[in-house]
Amino acid sequence: MDAVVCDRVSKRFILRPDRPRSFQEALIGLFRPRPKDGARRVEFWALRDVSFAVRAGTTFGIVGENGSGKSTLLRVIARILKPTSGAVRVAGRVTALLELGAGFHPELTGRENIYLYGSILGLKRREVNARLDEIIGFAELGEFIDTPVKHYSSGMLVRLGFAVAVHLDPDILITDEVLAVGDEAFQHRCLEKVHEFARAGKTIIMVSHDLNLVRQLCDEALWLDRGQVRALGDPVSVTRAYLDWANAKAFRRADAPAPNRRWGSFDVEVTRVEFLDGEGNPTWFFATGDPLTIRLHYRAHRRIERPVFGVGLHLGESVHITGPNTRFAGLDIPYIEGDGIIEYRVRELNLTRGVYLVSVAVSDHSLTHLYDYHDRLYRLEVRSRPGFEAFGPVYLPAEWRHLNGVAGPIRPRPGYTPAPPPSPGRQPE
Amino acid sequence: MPGAGLRTYYFKAMLSVIPGPDRLAELFRYRELLYNLVARDLKVRYKNSVIGVFWSLLNPLAMSAIFTFVFTVLMPSGLPRYALYVLIGLLAWNWTVGAVVGGAQSVVAHGHLVRKVYFPAEVLPISTVISNLVNFLFALIPLFLLMFTLGQVPGPQLILLPVAIVTQLLFLSGLALAASALNVPFRDTAAVLDVLMLGWFFLTPVFYRVEDLAGDWSRLMYIVNPLASIIANYRILLYYNTWPDPLFMVRTFVQALAVLAAGYLVFGLLRDRLPEEV
Ligand SMILES: Nc1ncnc2c1ncn2[C@@H]1O[C@H](COP(=O)(O)OP(=O)(O)OP(=O)(O)O)[C@@H](O)[C@H]1O
Ligand SMILES: [Mg+2]
Repeated sequence: MDAVVCDRVSKRFILRPDRPRSFQEALIGLFRPRPKDGARRVEFWALRDVSFAVRAGTTFGIVGENGSGKSTLLRVIARILKPTSGAVRVAGRVTALLELGAGFHPELTGRENIYLYGSILGLKRREVNARLDEIIGFAELGEFIDTPVKHYSSGMLVRLGFAVAVHLDPDILITDEVLAVGDEAFQHRCLEKVHEFARAGKTIIMVSHDLNLVRQLCDEALWLDRGQVRALGDPVSVTRAYLDWANAKAFRRADAPAPNRRWGSFDVEVTRVEFLDGEGNPTWFFATGDPLTIRLHYRAHRRIERPVFGVGLHLGESVHITGPNTRFAGLDIPYIEGDGIIEYRVRELNLTRGVYLVSVAVSDHSLTHLYDYHDRLYRLEVRSRPGFEAFGPVYLPAEWRHLNGVAGPIRPRPGYTPAPPPSPGRQPE
Repeated sequence: MPGAGLRTYYFKAMLSVIPGPDRLAELFRYRELLYNLVARDLKVRYKNSVIGVFWSLLNPLAMSAIFTFVFTVLMPSGLPRYALYVLIGLLAWNWTVGAVVGGAQSVVAHGHLVRKVYFPAEVLPISTVISNLVNFLFALIPLFLLMFTLGQVPGPQLILLPVAIVTQLLFLSGLALAASALNVPFRDTAAVLDVLMLGWFFLTPVFYRVEDLAGDWSRLMYIVNPLASIIANYRILLYYNTWPDPLFMVRTFVQALAVLAAGYLVFGLLRDRLPEEV
């Protein structure tokens, strides 16, 4: 039995209509017909002939780059948008988690918003009542539940939104990158909830940029590229195909760098940069603690004596995390000529969840003359792994110990009065 | 015959936007949302309850005082109990403004919802009309106080008041539905409405009598302006204290129904475009 069937679904958006967009334009148009090209309409096909079926009780993943039409497809399945052509058949009640807490009103309390949001999703008061305790418990809002949501932190809002939507007992759950919200602990529980759904025989359709998650959770996957199906089937092969394509594209982009992002005398050129995982496969997704190898392919156009190769890891445009090079590491390269490879191997990538930018450089031994410098041209994504979590960008491999009941060597000075404890966190207003 | 084919096409297109039984059934299933939206509107408006209620009651009374000063002292109209006469018109008018102007904004203001969640969007303008109805009902309290102050005791005709109110409810729902949907493709709907509402106010017998109009205008008024008939209903019941002509009430009701149908048709024509254009 199929829970969702899409049959040659296409969706066209009209970016600029050829009709008046206001009464003012309509009125002016009456007296002075608009110039021809001003009236030409601009269209955009966000989906083209997308066909697939999702079997009931399975988890289906959709991947693709930004703007490829993933959210549009979900909105068509959820009946929010009507396809321009083609048909969608859905068997069962759908809950779409496209934006958490979209229906919340800032002046109302969390509890009042639960009822409001529930009714937006088509629930009766009685049905919400039956799940109220569970929702409040899952969202972990404590006494904040009776505070207007305008006083909530964004994390609290997201938790409440997820809790309401996920407890509505849909037959088909549609999620758009909402599994990666909130703090680590909450993400964990969201995933658990999704697992629970899957075990209960419900159908899940998820969009995610986290390819590992898609491999872990999905029975089948779809790769959308500019509105068209590029691959459909086994999630491992679909995500691999997508990743290969995305990697190739990223390196192509790096071949033609922005003018002020690459400089040097180019006597030596770095022709290619690869990130390799533990098995030597190119990727750009890593988890904290994974091994990472950065491989530089170079070409020396003449004989260069004692070159120094270096890499740099950056957080955003401003924070330089580390900048090792072959000279600091004591690797003396007498000379290079022609093509070659330099590898920088990291045993454990001790960066926490985030997107990092990578620079590479070749210079002379004094580090003053640059042959080739790629300034933050490459992206590396790190996702978290339980047990390797920390605030800030760096995880230091370490252990915690608690020595119970041992009198520490530090005692307060005589006559010292301890400062009053810091006032407890925000009080509910 | 190519003309016939085209005609069938248009006929089918018209039929497809008329809300079918399934559409109405769905609307009914979402009545809980309607209730919650109205409750939210009122809760937010009357949050600092005493002040909120106070101002919403004071506004029509103050307006009525001003009109009474103008039309009994500055240029006497000769109408007895003018304060009551004009207050009835003002209350009906205030409900109309709130419902039409607020209703026009309702879909755009909830754009984030319409874009992201599946639900019948017509609950948005309808909820605006209903929450303004609640204000109207609140404002009946000072109206009755004024009646008693002027020594007028409402008669048994009062049982027809709900009919008059429902008539206006249907009429305003039609207008709000059309305005809310038109506001999406035509972003200057609010500006147009500002002008229209001002004109409509003076072309509606709020502060004058239809019967005083020159020539045949009074007859025309009842035909082209349903709000004139609606206000006339209220005045018969609350000001003249008599039984209305049943035919007149029925005709007004049918007029309101026709406006509702037309408004729903406009909404239905634009409905599919709302989530992508709002
Ligand atoms: N209402 C709309 N009107 C016009 N264009 C739209 C509309 N909604 C989406 N689009 C366009 O359709 C394309 C697909 O958008 P969509 O949001 O589906 O992409 P996506 O795959 O979800 O991307 P992301 O990964 O960034 O979330 C985009 O180019 C977007 O600009
Ligand atoms: Mg998206």
